[in-house]
Amino acid sequence: MERQGQQARVRRALTIAATLVAVAAGAPCVVHGQRGQVLAPVPKACETPGLSVIADSPLPNIAIALKERKKINILAIGATSASLRGPVSGGYYAVIERFLESTFKGLDVEVVHRGVSGELASDAAERIKTEVALNDADLVLWQLGTADALAQVPVADFFVTVSHTIAWLKEHKVDVILVGLRYTRSMVRDLHYQAVRTALQEIAKDHNVLRLGRYEAEEILERIRREQGDVPMSQAEVSEASYVCMAEYLARAIAAGLFVREPSPLKPPEKSP
Amino acid sequence: MPRPVNAVDFWRGFALVSIFINHIPGVFYDRFTHKNLSASDSAELFVFLAGWSLRHVVGKPEDPTPLHQLIFRLGGRALTLYAAHMMIVMLAIAMLAVSARLLDNPLLLEWHNAAAVFNDPVETHIGLVLLSHQLGYFDILPLYVVLMLLAPLIAFIHRQAPHLLVPVSLAVYFSALVFKLTVPTWPTEGQWFFNPLCWQAVFVLGFACSRERGPGGWVRANIGWLRLGAAPILIAATAMVWFDWWPDPTRVPEPKLLFIAGKTFVTPIRLIQFLALIAVFSALYPVIAKALPILVDYLSLLGRNSLPVFCAGSVLSLAGQIVRFYFRAGFFVDTALVAAGIILLGVTAWLAEWRDRVNKPA
Repeated sequence: MERQGQQARVRRALTIAATLVAVAAGAPCVVHGQRGQVLAPVPKACETPGLSVIADSPLPNIAIALKERKKINILAIGATSASLRGPVSGGYYAVIERFLESTFKGLDVEVVHRGVSGELASDAAERIKTEVALNDADLVLWQLGTADALAQVPVADFFVTVSHTIAWLKEHKVDVILVGLRYTRSMVRDLHYQAVRTALQEIAKDHNVLRLGRYEAEEILERIRREQGDVPMSQAEVSEASYVCMAEYLARAIAAGLFVREPSPLKPPEKSP
Repeated sequence: MPRPVNAVDFWRGFALVSIFINHIPGVFYDRFTHKNLSASDSAELFVFLAGWSLRHVVGKPEDPTPLHQLIFRLGGRALTLYAAHMMIVMLAIAMLAVSARLLDNPLLLEWHNAAAVFNDPVETHIGLVLLSHQLGYFDILPLYVVLMLLAPLIAFIHRQAPHLLVPVSLAVYFSALVFKLTVPTWPTEGQWFFNPLCWQAVFVLGFACSRERGPGGWVRANIGWLRLGAAPILIAATAMVWFDWWPDPTRVPEPKLLFIAGKTFVTPIRLIQFLALIAVFSALYPVIAKALPILVDYLSLLGRNSLPVFCAGSVLSLAGQIVRFYFRAGFFVDTALVAAGIILLGVTAWLAEWRDRVNKPA
């Protein structure tokens, strides 16, 4: 029984991980860098047979930071609760620091947490400019959408706010990775929620920035759970699993981004098993 | 008998209504609050007036409240604020939990920095009690608690050397800006939304301006000139907000916080604009009182009972957000919400005064 439970848990985590990354900017996934450098594999719990990591939207500015300063400053902001320490030593984002520093010898990575769970994109957008300036950020990890959709922020306003902010970041040579909306069954048919989600996908596509699709990951997890009649995971467990794997895959996305190359044509995400 | 209507209570009531509306993000009437034309918002006004009100506790220069009494009274006030804060935070957490259950939507548990409460309850409850974890929109009372605990020291410095208080306060303020000093949060990593090292300056300026001795006396003697100087600052700041002419934070020199706009640090741009705003708008009160006495009565009623009204407003704002989510926000829902909220704030204030009347010995 215990073993079955463990297998089910691993399966869920695998699914989350696969989907999180597979939908990133709708891009193909690779486990290696662009110049043949092989990245360390993701932990077993986040590993997915037949589907490897990472979107290849370039992150040119952190690549320059690596080359010139051997130091990368990452700003984590938006409606995220990933600043919680969670089950990972040092917090979820410590995974990113550790991974990048071990992959690139001599590289110093600093992640500054300025996320507030439930924060609207417009509030975060105001803070992003200040925080980027104060922390000399090279990369912004921006989790957004869920709070705006729940607060009934008009989609057009959301679109404009996020687009302007990304444009500002690009203009100031700061890379950005968007972490998308959360999934819950009651929002599947919510037109406004889905419209915000679509808007975020369009923004990511328009600006050619990486988007991590937590919604898609958690949706598949939910479906598998239903089909297999598993013991339901609590929302906290879903959050935890997706944050852990999100951090693992974000780390590899950034690492892949450090081996800069031009973006390749987009491919649809692979289906999970 | 409640105290008669006055400018301080009126403006405090104004700030309370603005805060109530601003704390329902996306609500239609948010666009009509003064933050849309101002670099500062109601938070500065509220904290400044809290500092102003400290004069009632400190006593007149010729009849000062003894220091030990001051410490006990302000300590008691800090305790009351702390208890009020804990009560509304617990109510907010319960409201989010009930809404998540009834609406079958666990995402509501992540609103307003509440995710940690549900995902990491052991450490976060310790953080709530220590004020190191704060819910979004429920973060101004912790600042008040700190300011009340500091208030005896503020009063003491003012009593001993009235001209020294503002320089000392500004020295702390600028040190925080130059060295980016903040108060960290725990268990989530971050910083207090209202940095007390900076916001104490707003509080101290409010207190100093209320006094006849020291800077307050100078302000009263020169208010006409100050208003003349403040008007162009106000116009320039309004244009900056309206046309989005904020300085680019990446292009300003170090120390950057001296030149950019930021609420957490109530940076000089916000502080100077706010001082200009009160210099100019303080002249308007007699006009408003004459033209709109009912409005002045109502807002003064709210302002006289600021703590219960603020607490009710915080809870009502959250209720408003949940209602907006459930009923799908629109003009009519927003109108009903804001109207009901403002009426309920009035009922809260009236009940507070009614209770005081009933409890008062004949």
